[in-house]
Amino acid sequence: MNETLQAFVSSSLRLATPLVLAATGEMVSEQAGVLNLSLEGMMLSAAFMGAFGAKVTGSPMGGLAFGLGAALLLALVQAWLSVRVRANQLVVGIGFNIFALGATTFLYRQIFGGLSREQIPSFSALEVPLLHRIPFLGPAVFSQAGLVYVAAALVAVTWWLVAKTPFGLAVRAVGENPRAADQAGLAVERIRFLAVLYAGGCAGLAGVFLSVASISTFTEGMTNGAGYLAVTAVILGGWHSVGVLGACLLFGAATSLQFVLPALGVPIPTAGLVMLPYVLALVAVSGVIRRSRPPAALTLPFRRGGH
Amino acid sequence: MDAALESPAPPATVLAIDGISKQFGGRPALEEVTLDVKAGEVHCLLGENGAGKSTLCNIVFGVHRPDAGHLRLGGQRFLPVGPAHALASGVAMVHQHFSLVGNMTALENMLLGRARGRSLALADMAKRVRHLSEEYGLEVNLERPVEDLSVGERQRVEVLRCLLDGPQLLVLDEPTAVLPPREVGALLEICRRLAARGCGLVLVTHKLAEIAEIAHRTTVLRRGRVVETVTMAGAGTDLRALVRAMVGREVKPLEIARATPQIAAVEARASADQKEDEALRLDGLVVKDGAGATRLDLSLTVRRGEIVGVAGVEGNGQSQLGAVLAGLLAPSAGKVLVGGADVTGKPPRELSRLGVGIVPEDRHAVGCHLPLSVAENLLLGDLSAYTRFGLLRRDRMAATAMARMEANDIRAAGPDAPMSSLSGGNQQKVVLARELALDPLVFLLAAQPTRGLDVGAVEAVYTEIRKACDRGAGVLLVSSELDELLAVADRVLVIYRGRIVGELPAHPQHKDAVGTLMSGQVAAVAA
Amino acid sequence: MSDIADVALGAAGLTRARRLPVERLLPLGALVGSLAVGLVLVRATGVPLRDALAAFWEGVGGSEFAMVGSLNRGVPLALVGLGYILAERANLTNVGGEGQICMGGIFSAAASLSWGAGKLPGPLAFLFPLLAGTAAGALWGALAGLLKARRGSNEVITTLLLTFIALQMVYGSVQSVHLLRQPMTDSATLPESLEIPSVTQLPVLTKDSGLPLHVGLVIELLVAGVVAVGLARSAIGLELRAVGLNETASRRAGLPVERLVIGALAASGALGGLAGAVMVQGDQHYLTAGFSSGFGFDGLVVGLLARGSAVGVVAFALLFGCLRSGGMSMEMSASVPSAIVVVCQGVMVVAMATAAAYSRRRPA
Repeated sequence: MNETLQAFVSSSLRLATPLVLAATGEMVSEQAGVLNLSLEGMMLSAAFMGAFGAKVTGSPMGGLAFGLGAALLLALVQAWLSVRVRANQLVVGIGFNIFALGATTFLYRQIFGGLSREQIPSFSALEVPLLHRIPFLGPAVFSQAGLVYVAAALVAVTWWLVAKTPFGLAVRAVGENPRAADQAGLAVERIRFLAVLYAGGCAGLAGVFLSVASISTFTEGMTNGAGYLAVTAVILGGWHSVGVLGACLLFGAATSLQFVLPALGVPIPTAGLVMLPYVLALVAVSGVIRRSRPPAALTLPFRRGGH
Repeated sequence: MDAALESPAPPATVLAIDGISKQFGGRPALEEVTLDVKAGEVHCLLGENGAGKSTLCNIVFGVHRPDAGHLRLGGQRFLPVGPAHALASGVAMVHQHFSLVGNMTALENMLLGRARGRSLALADMAKRVRHLSEEYGLEVNLERPVEDLSVGERQRVEVLRCLLDGPQLLVLDEPTAVLPPREVGALLEICRRLAARGCGLVLVTHKLAEIAEIAHRTTVLRRGRVVETVTMAGAGTDLRALVRAMVGREVKPLEIARATPQIAAVEARASADQKEDEALRLDGLVVKDGAGATRLDLSLTVRRGEIVGVAGVEGNGQSQLGAVLAGLLAPSAGKVLVGGADVTGKPPRELSRLGVGIVPEDRHAVGCHLPLSVAENLLLGDLSAYTRFGLLRRDRMAATAMARMEANDIRAAGPDAPMSSLSGGNQQKVVLARELALDPLVFLLAAQPTRGLDVGAVEAVYTEIRKACDRGAGVLLVSSELDELLAVADRVLVIYRGRIVGELPAHPQHKDAVGTLMSGQVAAVAA
Repeated sequence: MSDIADVALGAAGLTRARRLPVERLLPLGALVGSLAVGLVLVRATGVPLRDALAAFWEGVGGSEFAMVGSLNRGVPLALVGLGYILAERANLTNVGGEGQICMGGIFSAAASLSWGAGKLPGPLAFLFPLLAGTAAGALWGALAGLLKARRGSNEVITTLLLTFIALQMVYGSVQSVHLLRQPMTDSATLPESLEIPSVTQLPVLTKDSGLPLHVGLVIELLVAGVVAVGLARSAIGLELRAVGLNETASRRAGLPVERLVIGALAASGALGGLAGAVMVQGDQHYLTAGFSSGFGFDGLVVGLLARGSAVGVVAFALLFGCLRSGGMSMEMSASVPSAIVVVCQGVMVVAMATAAAYSRRRPA
């Protein structure tokens, strides 16, 4: 029983990590008014390039660099199209996802060849000195791949960035009332650009985690909706750092339960568990919790002098 | 040695506008506008709706780029690429619709665009703001979200923010439109003080009384061109000449009554005889907002053939009153009776059928659909007469629309012209025509019906309202234009914080008393 | 060729009066550019271009069989796209096509397998499951409509969430033999439903030639016609447009705003449900997890690209249907990964969106 619980906690954290990474970045982007449905595509591209990079350079850090680069590149294009060109954010997002799915599948077959499950150099678990000896929870929580701790740090850094810095203030202003922000002298487009890049960087970390840290290989379409789940987590979390973190942990736990419960012999249909995060988010967004109000200018491009 | 006479150096020119032209999609908004603003001067911009005042301000502030001409700020060529550039050059602007982020506090709004580096330095900014606040007598609550503040408070925040960096030029776009009379005086005083310190001010307004009070010079704009720049001689300036320059024709006494009380000439009204029936009765009507605060608590009666004015500064319950009467808001308590029948809580469709006509406060947001055609706007409420097998009969719609347009003197390219192509006055005429076409028309609510309209349109609107009255409808006229109310209504109710605090016959001599009641001082009012 | 250009440009929202040379070229350039990307990728695989293109053409329309496949594939795409533009008229964005397809498929299969549709006389045998699927989709759309009308919830978010829920419901419904799973003869029995009775399958239009062109095409064209006429010329079309432009003013004008919003999303969802039913009854003939295979998202893209034009929807749906067929054929016959087609589609979507944004920038 002890072991199952430990496995549950450990896997929950591991499953939640890519969500935490991606959702934290996406939260910043949405607070600035840009909805990145392309999160899925960015994560997938990063996962693939991460695997590719790790294989080519022989080190997981190399994979990290490649993966991050791929995601940032996509984010750059997404930012340019959404903010500068003012194309429809939803269309562009879905388009990128389709593109990324096709491109990664194609390149995977060309480079790795078919359905190989080739193991790539990956991040091994890091044991936090002392803490990992805490009885019961210690090994589960404090013996994870380095990126898990990075995720925790990211949440803290992001919280500080959004709540306590001029940049964060500007981000929130730009997403709530871009016209007023412009009239106050803020560079609306540049801020949104940076916010999208931030989301891309975080999505890159998330994608790299999936392939290089979590299962040490790449499989086609391996994100499997994690990007959309991250967007959902931002919604359920009410566009606040703590809420988003909580939502991601909840989702991670729900996903983990899918494997743990059958092992325990509890006959809950897995479909129900997979559905749970989305049902929760739906409840949240139906206004039962008043706090869940999206930034007023979300998905709306800004043009000075226009309406 | 030259015995040079000591004369004060002429004031420097802060802003020189030279031959500025601007087009929007082929339509000229400004044509070769030339004027200048000196240091220490309050230069008013006067003009009708659509004359180009706001466009000019936006060019100075960097929101638009001019197509031709150039600007000079303090002698240097000045072409702002955006508001940030303008702000950095010492130009600040108080916007008509406020440039504040609603869910942030006043303090946070102050920091927007100013905070640099790693931390927000809230305490420092708070200190700076308090300094300025004391200096100019502008009290603001720094801790609450701006959207929770009253309109007047929000404007104080906006003004304070502009003063933070000590601008050399301050542009104010219709700042007094939403202020109670007492606060208007305070704002003008701040303008005077700034001017005394050498700041140049551009004040955009259509209120002649304010211009008389504060302007050093006034430039009149008409259809994008400068008609003339007049040096004001204090209270003695002939304002009628200004109005003529604005409009291009002599105006009837009603308009002057609106502009300056001194030249008031109240039109005699044919006394209406049909005052027996009640057009509208509100019995103990109470409206509470989401937080449980009472926003409206009143009773009143409007008889058929009567025009009852409701005077009050915006934000004292008029919006709630309008929403209840339009069927868009359900009251927490009380009854609404139209023509004797209880219509409390009925939806808009029902109300229209029972003879309730509404000319809403915000015609763009509530009154009409701008992209739809004139015909569609006129007939949207009841398409069943123009539908066969679910499909629209456009020919019939056009015919009816043309007839109505003719009857109401609505100028447009045709019944299929988009509403957005009409001038503000004609748009309001469409809204009026739609409501006046109701048969029966028992009661009409006209909320701020002449806001943003030029002189000619104002006349037309009141003429129509009087016609409705003569046909037996009771009219409730809600307006913050005291002069209009006193000239047009039979009696005036004053609304303050959602309650009726006084009732007076509508006569210009009661203007001060009404103004006092409007600002909440109930004592010392001669009944 | 110019007709196709006309359609494409009309679809991209460019009216006849405003087609400057650059505007004409942009969306066309986007299309051509994305196809060029595909060709480059094909070269990269080492397969000779000629073989790949031959296989592609085979799949699209090289044989009558292939042509029929493309047409069939376009049907659910068009239906979802039409649903999208319907809701778009009222300024509502329905991105839940995939989920509505799922619900439509589930209920259509249920009607065919469990509710005795097979025993109904004549055309009712296949009409009843179609209706069931349509109703299910309508319900799914109405749910989002209700949340929007009563709670003000953003429908992009709610329809998206409902999609993921519906995807799981398909999975769940074929997991259990108490629901739709076929009887398990042994542990290796796949989680999918039985084949639906042949009377509930959509009748084939060209029975003699043995081609599987089913009646879905007729349904698609009928619906497209109704939607086109309805949006442009009906009273409800005007009312939807009014609500989309200005909700408060519409309310004030006496329009039943709540009913219109819920109705628009319900109708939009209904078309998605119909698409799902057509997929199950027309092409697949049984229900399995993941049967929607992205058609909902593709259909959504079709709707987005069509910019409010029903004709545009039909055209883009056909284009995407052809791409899918061609891609599959390329993979089977020429060993060219069909992922290339997916890449093309992605590039096309992004390029067209960019082209649309640039043409919007022209001063009115």
